Amino acid sequence: MAEHATLWRPRGAWDLYAHAGRHGRSEGPAGVTATPREGLALMSVTAVDGAEERLAAALRDRFGLSLPEPGGALFSGETGLIWSGPGQWLALAPTRGDLDGFGETLKGLAAVADQSDGRAVLRLSGPDARRVLEKGVSVDLHPRAFGPGHTAVTAVAHIGVQLWQRDDAPTYEIAVARSFAGSLWSWLEEAAAEFGCEVRVA
Amino acid sequence: MRIRCPYCGERDNGEFSYLGDAAPVRPDGMEASPQAMHDYVYLRDNRAGEIRELWYHGAGCRAWLVVTRDTRTHTVADVQPARDVAKARAVTPAGSASHA
Amino acid sequence: MLDRTPEFPLPPVREVGLSQKFRTSSGGLIDRRRARDFTFDGRTLTGYHGDTLASALLANGVRLVGRSFKYHRPRGILSAGSEEPNALVELRSGARREPNTRATMAELYEGLEATSQNRWPSLAVDALSVNALLSPVFAAGFYYKTFMWPAALWEKLYEPMIRRAAGLGRAADAPDPDTYEHAHAHCDVLVIGGGPAGLSAALSAGRSGARVILVDEDFCLGGRLLAERREIDGLSGPEWVAQAVAELESLPEVRLLPRTTLFGVYDHGAYGAVERVSDHVAVPAPHAPRQRLWRIVAKRAVLAAGAIERPHVFGGNDRPGVMLAGAVRTYLNRYGVLPGAAPALFTSSDDGWRTVADIAAAGGRVAAVVDSRPDVPVPLRRMAEAAGAQVVAGGQVIGTRGHLALSGIDVRDSYGGTLHIACDTLAMANGWNPVVHLDSHLSRRPVWDEAIHGFVPGQLPTGMVAAGAASGRLTLADALESGSRLGAEAAEACGFDAKAAGTPRTDPESTAHTPLWRVAKPKGKAFVDFQNDVAASDVELAHREGFRAVELLKRYTTLGMATDQGKTSNLAGLSIMAELTGQPIPAVGTTVFRPPFTPVAIGAFAGHHRGKEFRATRHVPSHAWCLENNAQFLETGLWLRPAYFPRAGETDWLQTVVREVETVRSKVGLCDVSTFGKIDIQGRDALAFIERVCANPFGTLKVGRSRYALLLREDGFVLDDGTVSRLADNHFVMTASTANAARVMQHLEFCRQWLWPELDVQMVSVSEQWAQYAVAGPRSRDVLTRIVDPGFDLSNEAFPFLGAAEITVGGGIPARLFRISFSGELAYEIAVPAAYGDAAWRAIMAAGLPYGICPYGAEALSVMRIEKGHAAGAEINGQTTARDLALGGMLAKKKDYVGRLMKERPALIDPDRPILVGFRPVDPSQRLRAGAHFLAVGAEPSLAADEGYMTSVAFSPSLGHWVGLGLIRRGAERHGERVRAYDPVRGGDVEVEICNAAFVDPAGERMHG
Repeated sequence: MAEHATLWRPRGAWDLYAHAGRHGRSEGPAGVTATPREGLALMSVTAVDGAEERLAAALRDRFGLSLPEPGGALFSGETGLIWSGPGQWLALAPTRGDLDGFGETLKGLAAVADQSDGRAVLRLSGPDARRVLEKGVSVDLHPRAFGPGHTAVTAVAHIGVQLWQRDDAPTYEIAVARSFAGSLWSWLEEAAAEFGCEVRVA
Repeated sequence: MRIRCPYCGERDNGEFSYLGDAAPVRPDGMEASPQAMHDYVYLRDNRAGEIRELWYHGAGCRAWLVVTRDTRTHTVADVQPARDVAKARAVTPAGSASHA
Repeated sequence: MLDRTPEFPLPPVREVGLSQKFRTSSGGLIDRRRARDFTFDGRTLTGYHGDTLASALLANGVRLVGRSFKYHRPRGILSAGSEEPNALVELRSGARREPNTRATMAELYEGLEATSQNRWPSLAVDALSVNALLSPVFAAGFYYKTFMWPAALWEKLYEPMIRRAAGLGRAADAPDPDTYEHAHAHCDVLVIGGGPAGLSAALSAGRSGARVILVDEDFCLGGRLLAERREIDGLSGPEWVAQAVAELESLPEVRLLPRTTLFGVYDHGAYGAVERVSDHVAVPAPHAPRQRLWRIVAKRAVLAAGAIERPHVFGGNDRPGVMLAGAVRTYLNRYGVLPGAAPALFTSSDDGWRTVADIAAAGGRVAAVVDSRPDVPVPLRRMAEAAGAQVVAGGQVIGTRGHLALSGIDVRDSYGGTLHIACDTLAMANGWNPVVHLDSHLSRRPVWDEAIHGFVPGQLPTGMVAAGAASGRLTLADALESGSRLGAEAAEACGFDAKAAGTPRTDPESTAHTPLWRVAKPKGKAFVDFQNDVAASDVELAHREGFRAVELLKRYTTLGMATDQGKTSNLAGLSIMAELTGQPIPAVGTTVFRPPFTPVAIGAFAGHHRGKEFRATRHVPSHAWCLENNAQFLETGLWLRPAYFPRAGETDWLQTVVREVETVRSKVGLCDVSTFGKIDIQGRDALAFIERVCANPFGTLKVGRSRYALLLREDGFVLDDGTVSRLADNHFVMTASTANAARVMQHLEFCRQWLWPELDVQMVSVSEQWAQYAVAGPRSRDVLTRIVDPGFDLSNEAFPFLGAAEITVGGGIPARLFRISFSGELAYEIAVPAAYGDAAWRAIMAAGLPYGICPYGAEALSVMRIEKGHAAGAEINGQTTARDLALGGMLAKKKDYVGRLMKERPALIDPDRPILVGFRPVDPSQRLRAGAHFLAVGAEPSLAADEGYMTSVAFSPSLGHWVGLGLIRRGAERHGERVRAYDPVRGGDVEVEICNAAFVDPAGERMHG
């Protein structure tokens, strides 16, 4: 219906908080770039007891990715499988709706629950991205301990988060429960200020 | 204090919450005597030495863990997923809680 | 040397006047081209970049720096480090004022403001120094003995009086304008201390490629190498340090943290440290914090924290001008300050004589050397005499002269005669105590080392080793060797191929030392603990009164307490107690140190979490709309919930809430209930699992239906309540209350993982995925008809009370609809993906416009649930059972569930137990108050007469008077009876009638309609 198209627009999880532009230190290139990732498809996939191998096969068919070990995050382009707990993963795809029907596909192998709106995801990149995160993340993010393909479920400033690394830039993505986005942003703004933070909003 | 979560690796104890002794096994509520349930809920040894206890990795992977810790030194000798420990217990007749 | 802080434009280089009359003409590690003006008690003085406040004060001849804690005795500068007990000042002013700052640690900057503390009206004339005349009264245990009776006087009289007379400085009264932050660091090898041992350890570990963090509380790395005239492989100490630091800075995996105090050692390789990022500038640079709290995790640690020199205990040893000998050398060699024109030395060790050599090398004269040992090597004696010194071997300083500063010493010679020697500075050298604080933070006691007459680390924390002076190896050669070796070993233990560097060649030194624990028959008070004004006589008193154990000695005399934690005093106190009790010192033992090593500002611990960021805040999906529409918010747990939505002309919150309730009961309202927990439960055994965690039966719950769910704890009390909806055969969604959502999730995980691991259940929180709104009121169906996509039948027949359905809205957006009611009206809860929460809210408001819809908040929600008699947080408070809440009837009989047996304990089924009922005021105009206790009418208030209490109250718009819920004995059988609701705290004493808790529509017809 036409009226629905105008009225029912999704609202970004970071809308109220992340404003495009340069924040903090203004001189020199920004040490970190923050990009809200809106409109992702995100599903939690919880394996049925004893079905992990069949689940892995089904996911390999669908994504060409194997099921990551604890602490692992595997990507093919912008689509990925991210370990998120014992027997539990997040399936991630770039556009809302990409994973529709996923529950049916995995019926009998895993319980699937949509989390596309439940998590606010932020991409953090740049030479100082690690130094910013180290102010809040108690997990060792040094390249010897954590790199592309790694994920951690942990807390930042007492807020539960899951983060994973995409590349060596380094680029990280950090997922937080949607209702906490404002508080996480407030922490990030303060932590990133000394390095200069460029916020890119699509 | 640091605890090595079998899934997440070593983490600060702030990510975990503590429950207590992992020894008591819940009796079946339909068959157990009130006394047995009372003992399960309330009776705990307070040992100086090694104890197996339940911790919850709430700020991490949400796994319940059985942590073997020396109460005198805080030395953590072992950490296992509670679900694995519980499953092993379920097939061991001696410790069975049998929840048919 | 090493300056990691943002660079600031430097003031222009200028000639400095002659004000710094105690500054040597050359030498030292200060930058004489960069003068720094500062003020002390309002007086403008000048020092140099590289000075501490203490060195700049001494350069200007300022020796009186503060007044002592108890007796207000004049005090100067004792040390050159963090052990300083005397020279505590207030730094900066206004909102940035910080009390109890050590002048010896405060880095000088342009415009630094320092104020002496604990004096009135001025430093030189202190009215309260009369305390000193009363010192017999203020002896150990004074507070305990004097202010015991009458107790009533404590708060009003004694405490304010003591606080005015004593205390240590004033905190700022305005909020701190600066920021503080936290940071985490991980490494293979943590090196604590940047002296010769620490630098050597960092070098050998760092060269192997290991990740190394080196922390030092000083702003320059180098430790005593900056303070002594030493040689390493032909380089001076500072040259060797510069070389080492340059190499460390070139290693990519080595992180150097000067200005950083490692204050705490915790289990399993966790450490706490505070970095003073901006304390050396007046105002932090833009975006820079004042301080940064580091949490460091290290696989191995090398403790290279050095040692602290011991003062002598003799009469008047606290007079300004009496200093530690090592500090005198630090001021001379590092800062180019000779603290006095006529210095003297009191030593019991060979290293004390270095002071004489250094002063002579700087062209100074020495008034006297008093060595408590009878035999003084001839070369040392000759050197001293060449510097003009009178040498007294086998002598002791027994007293000092002067008022506000030292003018002379009284010396007892080896024959028992006394002589007076004029001097303005006295350097004390009585051996060194390894810094054993950090290694004893985990309750491992230090052990006695007879070779150095001091305590050294005992069993060290796992993964920690001690090097150099911190381990009792007091020579430079040993420091370099042990640091290098232990640094390499630490890196090797982390899997690196590390080699200790060859031991460098150093100039010879002697550590010969015969400690003199105290001087016999001193002239005047001989202080053991300067900061707490504890004298040797106080230790004697403690001994006489039986407080002989170290822990008692400490608490009775306050020895070793306050900001310095006895860094210069502990051993002196123990040694005197050992002498008095006729035991060796190790038999007396020592107290154990706890974190922090030196005081840490609360701001550093708080970090980001202050003001509005004290804790995280959660926003509901309708938050943006709420902000646009004047919502007034309420904090519930972490959530910021809209509480009510005032309209123009409404002047009182109750007026607004009444309007919101009336609108819901007569028309329709919209409320954001997204804060409830939502747990997705799937799997073959999902139903069996729900049956075991819920106390009421679910076997008959059909797909497409919701049911109230009651969860108990295993001890039989109610944990929480919510709903369970069955979306498919093996797919359920459970809700939990806002306050208990996380606790319920943890409990369910416990049940699934630990109690019943054999059940095949998949569970995940979907709380954040769904925006959930209550649409309540007689017109709610009309409104929703315009929201749900065509094809879904909302009629009562098709979608009755407690229906649950997966639907679509807005042209295909997946949604969930539940026909559940908290208000008691015809009501629905609609859940949409949270990103559509804002759109859904606006769409429902628009659709409801023709029906007079209004948004309502948590207040109206609460009023309506009280009107309906529904239990909530005030009733489900961890002390109530299902029976107490009048929910006993719904409990399942034929299944096991958590809490089934324990809820039957005799006390919990006692018919006299208070039970939930309603209360209405007999006089309808009277207000009720939650917390009021129930008494029989006419009964005297007493604990025995107490029959229960009011849990929740609200003004009921529907009834036009206040209504309450409460727990009262045998409440179910007492409807119609009158009791007193007694609330003496707020002057409430209201006669109320016990009634049905459901005040509105008790038959529940409306929600079924």
